[in-house]
Amino acid sequence: MKKLFVVSLLLVLSLVAFSRVTITMTAGAVGKELEVLYAQIDRFMKANPDIKVSVMPMPNSSTERHDLYVTYLAAGEKEPTVFMLDVIWPAEFAPFLEDLTADRSYFELDKFIPGTVKSGTVNGKIVAIPWFTDAGILYYRKDLLDKYGFKNPPKTWDELVKIAQTITAKEKNMYGFVWQGARYEGLVCDFMEFLISYGGDVIDDTGKVVINSKASVDALQFMVDLIYKYKVSPQAVTTYMEEEARISFLNGQAVFMRNWPYAWSTLNDPKESKVAGKVGVAPLPAGPAGRSAATLGGWMLGINKNATPEEKAAAKKLVKFLTSYDEQLYKAINAGQNPTMVDVYKDPELKKAAPFMVELYSMFVNAEPRPRTAKYSEISDVMQKYLHAALTQQMTAQQAIQDMAKDLNKVVAGR
Amino acid sequence: MKAKTRETLIAWGMVLPALLVISIIAFLPLFQTFYNSFFDASLRPDIEKRFVGFKNYADLFQDPRFLDALKNTIFFTIISVLFETILGLLIAVLVNQPFKLRGAVRAAMLIPWAIPTAISSQMWKWMFEPSTGIITKLLEALHMIKPGVPILGSPQTAMWAIIAVDVWKTTPFMALLILAGLQLIPEELYEAARIDGANVWQRFSKITIPLIQSTIGVALIFRTLDALRVFDVVFIMTRGSVNTETLAVYNRVLLMDRAFTGAWFGYGSALSVIIFALISVFAVIYIRSLKIKLE
Repeated sequence: MKKLFVVSLLLVLSLVAFSRVTITMTAGAVGKELEVLYAQIDRFMKANPDIKVSVMPMPNSSTERHDLYVTYLAAGEKEPTVFMLDVIWPAEFAPFLEDLTADRSYFELDKFIPGTVKSGTVNGKIVAIPWFTDAGILYYRKDLLDKYGFKNPPKTWDELVKIAQTITAKEKNMYGFVWQGARYEGLVCDFMEFLISYGGDVIDDTGKVVINSKASVDALQFMVDLIYKYKVSPQAVTTYMEEEARISFLNGQAVFMRNWPYAWSTLNDPKESKVAGKVGVAPLPAGPAGRSAATLGGWMLGINKNATPEEKAAAKKLVKFLTSYDEQLYKAINAGQNPTMVDVYKDPELKKAAPFMVELYSMFVNAEPRPRTAKYSEISDVMQKYLHAALTQQMTAQQAIQDMAKDLNKVVAGR
Repeated sequence: MKAKTRETLIAWGMVLPALLVISIIAFLPLFQTFYNSFFDASLRPDIEKRFVGFKNYADLFQDPRFLDALKNTIFFTIISVLFETILGLLIAVLVNQPFKLRGAVRAAMLIPWAIPTAISSQMWKWMFEPSTGIITKLLEALHMIKPGVPILGSPQTAMWAIIAVDVWKTTPFMALLILAGLQLIPEELYEAARIDGANVWQRFSKITIPLIQSTIGVALIFRTLDALRVFDVVFIMTRGSVNTETLAVYNRVLLMDRAFTGAWFGYGSALSVIIFALISVFAVIYIRSLKIKLE
């Protein structure tokens, strides 16, 4: 009898020991992102020995990540448990994500930048927690601007063209301005910045398509002119995504670059970068509308609705951990990805490691969102098609905007 | 009589498992795609499935993007299959001649075909890269392209670059099939022709070509079928930008990008059915014109 008791006790104990919940999480691998995440996950697992987290690295292109998510979700898979979601996806994926509205105070969402929380809210329900936020910024070569007597980074697009032309005329093998011009989501982000700085918009607050305007044509024409008329951007930008632009800037081949904050830490790493210590950061220049604009980017964390209750509980712990003050600070310093919690921007450690984040704080808070709708993928797809056609001179800017408006109206009308 | 029924039964019993597997993995999805093409449907749970008859097909032929993709697909297919057949035939005749290291050459020839398309496309993409790619540098040195013009980013060159990769990759397959056909031709025929005084060209056009005609036909069907549903090489190299979007690449947009955004699932299915129909049309043309016996 006693023997049986001991045996069953042992059995129960061993079951408890092995009942670790395993959850999976998708993650990006841009710059130092993945390295940093692995370190964070290690810390999380040490603090929570009953949870095992396995990381599924995802392709860098957000379009390809989207495809993978569609496959997992349409199949009703319970994995991955935690999704890393682009700010433009929550509306589209909402039916497949766990409703976190009741956990609002658990995640301390009141301490977050309101705009980022709004991105994760669909029809009043919270389905994703802001992990890091992004805004397009202008990187520039401080040393080159100094050398040619330009005291400040450009305030307007015209100034940028002038400075870029002056410097590239004298420096060998140097591009003026690199950005993201391949046919993918990044092109829409870049275009939105030009567009809003020219006073245009894609869809207004009532959901009406307002892209067919002179401002849109002028903004797109300016992008085309950067390549073919002013020749400050290489024709190759029509094949560039973030990493192509970053690598060419990192190798000292460009005066200006439009990119996200993540590039900062690698650009200043003397082991990889030829321009370490020579890089400055500024808000993107203003257009004729007299204002500059940065597209709101960033990524959120959502939980798979099909996961088991134990997995969901573990996933919530992980999301809470990754979006906590300390971990946001760690991520900001080491991966250069911007915090979503307001107080982190006041931290002296952040000011030391990434001063521009603190200086450009108001820009991150005021970044412009892309249209928030479940149909965003379709809208973006139409925009990419016509923007790229104009950039590769298959049609004029005027024609591209007209056709884009026609197709966007069809998308909004729906099928 | 009884023994024969028994035999038939056993035969059926042996064929049945294979038939079952084929119906599950081939006919069922095919039927389902046909069926879905008559509906407005989405993978998004809150969109209701609705019967719409032939509306998806009618809409497709009003869709300029579909028509462009159709044009691009047919252009890609005709040009790439044409080059592959001509080059494949030349290479097959060449390696059918006895020479030193023939075995090694035949094996080496197959390397491009053995590399998975996803990998070779990425490899070529790097070679086409502006400013650093080896092909870009080569073509610039030969003054065939202007410096700074991205090969995969220009509408004039992108499709040709993709066709070049496809030709590089699948010519070996064509050559291999034709080589097999060549080896079936008895040497006596050539000997007799030589005795009768036929020259090289006469021997080639009067003996070789007629005798490998059906082999070429089969090879053509295989290749055309593949080319009409080309996806990987286009998607990896240009994602369908600069006028290179093919039907399968557009279908990815409909079925993946728009899976949860609207009722596009039936529309995508209709597009799949059209690819299927297109392939059938080509197959029938080949079979009729090359007099291939299917039995």
